[in-house]
Amino acid sequence: MAARIALKRALPSTRSAFTHSPQQPPRFITRPFSASLPSLAPNPNPSTSASSSPSSSSTSSSSAPDYAIPDPTRPTHFGYETVTEGEKRERVAGVFTSVAESYDRMNDLMSFGWHRVWKDHFVASLNPGFSPLTPGPDPRGPQHILDIAGGTGDIAFRMLHTAHVVNANPAVRVTISDINRAMLTVGKQRSTTLPASQQASLSFVEANAENLSQTRPLHPYPSPIEPTTHDAHGNTEQAFFDPATSTASIPSASVDLYTVAFGIRNFSNIPAALREAYRVLKPGGVFACLEFSKADAHPVFNALYKEWSFRAIPLIGQLVAADRDSYQYLVESIERFPSQAEFRDMIVDAGFVVAGDGWEDLTGGVAAIHKGMKPRA
Amino acid sequence: MACLARAETTPRILIGPLRRSSRFVCLSSRESTSITIPTARTISTRPQYPRQQQPLRPLPRSPVTPATTFRTYHSHDHPPPPGPFTPAETALLCAAYIHVPRHGFTAEALARGARDAGLLDISPSVLPGGESGGAFRLICWHLYTQRTALGGKVGGLTGDAGSPITNVADKVEALAWERLKGNAEAGVVGRWQEALAVMAHPSYAPTSVKELAQLADEILYLAGDSSVDPSWYSKRASLSAIYAAAELFQTTDQSPDFRETRAFLRRRLQEAARMGGAVRSISEWIGFNAGAAVNVLRSKGVRI
Ligand SMILES: C[S@@+](CC[C@H](N)C(=O)[O-])C[C@H]1O[C@@H](n2cnc3c(N)ncnc32)[C@H](O)[C@@H]1O
Repeated sequence: MAARIALKRALPSTRSAFTHSPQQPPRFITRPFSASLPSLAPNPNPSTSASSSPSSSSTSSSSAPDYAIPDPTRPTHFGYETVTEGEKRERVAGVFTSVAESYDRMNDLMSFGWHRVWKDHFVASLNPGFSPLTPGPDPRGPQHILDIAGGTGDIAFRMLHTAHVVNANPAVRVTISDINRAMLTVGKQRSTTLPASQQASLSFVEANAENLSQTRPLHPYPSPIEPTTHDAHGNTEQAFFDPATSTASIPSASVDLYTVAFGIRNFSNIPAALREAYRVLKPGGVFACLEFSKADAHPVFNALYKEWSFRAIPLIGQLVAADRDSYQYLVESIERFPSQAEFRDMIVDAGFVVAGDGWEDLTGGVAAIHKGMKPRA
Repeated sequence: MACLARAETTPRILIGPLRRSSRFVCLSSRESTSITIPTARTISTRPQYPRQQQPLRPLPRSPVTPATTFRTYHSHDHPPPPGPFTPAETALLCAAYIHVPRHGFTAEALARGARDAGLLDISPSVLPGGESGGAFRLICWHLYTQRTALGGKVGGLTGDAGSPITNVADKVEALAWERLKGNAEAGVVGRWQEALAVMAHPSYAPTSVKELAQLADEILYLAGDSSVDPSWYSKRASLSAIYAAAELFQTTDQSPDFRETRAFLRRRLQEAARMGGAVRSISEWIGFNAGAAVNVLRSKGVRI
């Protein structure tokens, strides 16, 4: 019972902590996880190398709403009263569970439960950790997988399983990265059920996908050990990673496989994220993206799916979660995401080479997998 | 080996469709075509559109119209349309193809090829083909390069006595035999049963069947078959059936130079010509192939 009340109290404030800014348009008032809409504005300077500050490119992107850019100075409404440590832990757990559950529920609604199958297929088609049988370990060092917008770890855990168990390659390391510390904290909690060897190969990193040269190891949100409402600068603690607090970076040419599942449509500057992906990948490294897409090839199916997503899902969101707006956002963000071919061209524009069409449709195009390889220099 | 040894190091921008010379890059070492392999830097990254959609068969052409009007694909005056493989893919598949005789159409061959090409173990995962992990794409590469290489062999066809072949039926047989020899020269005969098992997978079967039809199409075209009546369709169907049967026969043929396979091919084609009907050979083919396929799969430990 107490947990329930705590959850009720904590939930709206967490939500505001993700996105709220006083100036934002009223239509997008509640948006539980992603802070942004995809910006399709052409990149004003496509040749700019990844070293140019992605945060400046974010701001220059005309169609990126300002609330899309995490801003440490923006006031949030996450205010704690003084609570006992035990009470706080309960509350924190409540928030996290509800955030994670809400994700799963939305993915289930949008994909009719298919997203689990898609994720399995995504990971199987990448076959992480596969190595030809040669004597001794790979002279080029162990495989490093970076799961961007990794949230609660769905993809990363599957990668680890395939690499360590299926391909018997325990040298593979996986980094889960997300801009949302709350999501990462859930992921970290979930990872405690994995075998110890797999846990040891996992790391959690706070980062904005648009600028991977500013990162920091996960500081759980909110800190369960040391309740504080303020960050190092005396600002109210943010659920978002604040680049001002960065202590590390993801080096160039350090990653074998970059994955992003159901995350990229939330980025405010997709070209910047693609440039960063290109930068951190080793030559020969692979960019792989799983995302909701367009079922345009099948008109009848598409019409039904649109009807379902635009009418039914927000209604269900309202009835089930009393949260129509965020479900509405989900549907709209999918609709606004570029078509398969447009997104393939964006990947190519970032410098990647593709094979075949560059993408594979899943379930008639409701979702698609895009892949690109960083060519040898 | 041809493929790596000949890899061009001078950067060269390939614009538009791949040049013809880069299409037959990995056939066999005796191939002396000038070869250019796009290096990573030179490749044009975006797949060329419109994608090649080689029709199974356009409208039957009139005997008085030059074939090239309808079949620009085969025209010798025009550059060939881009193949279904991007340059990056071509480089990767080409490097992996060398490892097929030893390692089969497998992730192992692909990873070894990637290493040879200076890429990473993960690189082949960029290939389409879902959960076969690029293996099906490697099979497609074999089918495509072998099929498109036939055009270059048509001029040198000779009959048993070394004399040039003039009649269409004999040319069909000679071309089908060239194609079967291609399997032997590429060293994939011992790997072909595994490949068939992958090709039979429900998600790959449509592509596999289409590729077979394109092969029959190519052989009939190159042999100079110019029939315009509906019998063309039955001819193509028979030829597809006979070729597939002969290929399966080849996988178990121990005779020197696959002599038995050649005899099998000849018998089947002669029978088909005698019967004059596709229907009969198709039903025969289904019977033969179903039986053979079951045996093949059983021998692989599949429980049927
Ligand atoms: C729908 S979740 C996907 C989680 C996980 N990959 C999965 O498939 O279940 C989207 C994630 O994208 C993250 N995200 C949104 N914008 C981001 C950005 N700019 N940089 C990094 N992560 C971002 C959100 O915090 C959220 O965790």
